[in-house]
Amino acid sequence: MPDKAPPSAPDLPRSIGRSLLLSVPMALFTLLLFTPVIRQPGRPAKLAALVTWVFMIALFFLMMRTRETYRWRRVFFIALGFLFPVGFIWDLIALRSSMSIPMERMLSGDTPFCFMVIPMTLIPAALTKTIIFPGSILPTPSNPHSIAMMVALWLLATVILGKAWCSYGCFFGGLDEGFSSIAKKARIRKINPRWRLAPWAILVGIVLLSAATFEPTYCMWLCPFKAVTEFPQVRSTQTAIQFGIFIALFLGLVVVLPFLTKRRTQCAFFCPFGAFQSIFSRTSIFEVRIDKDKCGAGCLLCQNNCPTMAIDQESIRAGKTLSSCMRCGACIDVCRKDAAVWHIKGTPVGLKPERARLLFLYAGWVFAAMFGGSIIAHSLERLIGLAM
Amino acid sequence: MNGVAEALALGFGSGPVCVASCGPVLLPWLGAEPRKLGPTGRLLAIFLGGRLAGYLGFAVVAWAAGLTLPLDLRSRSLVFGLANLGLALLLGFSACFPHRASVAPEEHATRLYQIDAATRFRPPSALTLGFLTGLNLCPPFVAAGVRAAATHSLLGALAFFALFFAGTSVWFLPALGVSWLRRFSAVPTVARMTMAALAIYYAYLGIVSVAAWRMAAARAGNLFIFISGMVSHA
Repeated sequence: MPDKAPPSAPDLPRSIGRSLLLSVPMALFTLLLFTPVIRQPGRPAKLAALVTWVFMIALFFLMMRTRETYRWRRVFFIALGFLFPVGFIWDLIALRSSMSIPMERMLSGDTPFCFMVIPMTLIPAALTKTIIFPGSILPTPSNPHSIAMMVALWLLATVILGKAWCSYGCFFGGLDEGFSSIAKKARIRKINPRWRLAPWAILVGIVLLSAATFEPTYCMWLCPFKAVTEFPQVRSTQTAIQFGIFIALFLGLVVVLPFLTKRRTQCAFFCPFGAFQSIFSRTSIFEVRIDKDKCGAGCLLCQNNCPTMAIDQESIRAGKTLSSCMRCGACIDVCRKDAAVWHIKGTPVGLKPERARLLFLYAGWVFAAMFGGSIIAHSLERLIGLAM
Repeated sequence: MNGVAEALALGFGSGPVCVASCGPVLLPWLGAEPRKLGPTGRLLAIFLGGRLAGYLGFAVVAWAAGLTLPLDLRSRSLVFGLANLGLALLLGFSACFPHRASVAPEEHATRLYQIDAATRFRPPSALTLGFLTGLNLCPPFVAAGVRAAATHSLLGALAFFALFFAGTSVWFLPALGVSWLRRFSAVPTVARMTMAALAIYYAYLGIVSVAAWRMAAARAGNLFIFISGMVSHA
């Protein structure tokens, strides 16, 4: 992010006491969530849960104190992105000594269900009542990541948070956000805005192909994160080609391009689930709006700093972000005139935006702690266990 | 009369699978074409006509070859491979050279664009796309082929296929809804991007099928040499 102008009145830090007071409900609620984990036998599990709880509450406190969202959310999100593969790979190695899944394990329904598959399953499920994924509906000892659990979590988060899933829940997005944060300046600045439509094209393509072939096409051919999670065992030319595609997409979209552009390129220009999630933005009451009365200098700081190019001049004129906005808060934090604001649908724009932010953060951070926090705790437990 | 009802029922019952099978070609292509309901309906009808031609062509070949299933496995690999490569080529061209009517109206107004359009490659017709998807046999088509072969006359088999096709076509009517989606300005661009991505997929399928045919042919050749060697040795 570029340097900010001196803070205007609403940007002044909150007092420590008031920030603590605002953090108490979050601390208590997340403590309830983490208590079962803290009570688990074994020091690594207790310690990991405690560290994660303190980490989440510290970040929430800093959000309250500084009134900045993007900066602290990013810390959590990058931690989630980089720790998720650690725990996942650890479990795979412990379970079957390899990151690759053999065909016979896939056929027995041992593939962990990932939310990315949801859009691909809809048409075949509607037409034939068949879920085209080699997973299990309910958790089993060999596959605790069941279809029912993931779909229920996704539905809950989507109804409340909409597209904010991509900034507070997705355990993949943190990787390209992490790589996009390394360089100080973007080496590639001009990106054709037409690329913003590419995730929709990928979405339409994989949904249609999945309906035609009865296979989760994206998982089989295009998922960049297969490179750091689980992939089909390379036993034929086809699986070798698939593996090559996974590696190339991961390096290109998650490592190199985010580093060069300082944007979340995988999320903005490729991820079909992100496009799918945009459809549900309307279900959430939370959104980011631009107060046209306050804006007008044409500084375009919000446009230039949006990690997913979800703001352009036309949207600024319309006073809102594009449907691909992930509610990460980058535009709001960077705006010098406080024109970009958190907003609750049905209320006047710019009316008590900090209150709207607080309401959004309470919802978003509870979900982040519940979903992302448990993933972080799980991975930390493995790492602490290794160290002890 | 029973045969008519059976063909229609079989077509209607397996229509969703046919739609799913043709969807990756038909829907993005319609999305990139003119927006109004009338022209979309006309294009859909022509596409379905092409698909029927593909079906009937295959039925005639199957009948002439006297096979229950159309062609042997090896030849089918070649036909599928070439059909997929053809689809890849046409989808690729459609993605690169959009139909004139799908381009923004302000571009139409410019003389420069009109001259340019006249010299451009014409996008593939609905008939060709329909014909190639018709050649890409889907499971319901094979089921109908098996049943049609049992009618013991070429005309009977063709009539069975035509009625089966009519039954499946009902399920294609919702594709007209694409004209409604064209209200969104981004739809033609998304449709063209989708076609480009699908062209790569079909090209891959085509290459794999042709390679499978080549390998099977080579293996058959080796077997022939092996057998003739054994015979001469004996």
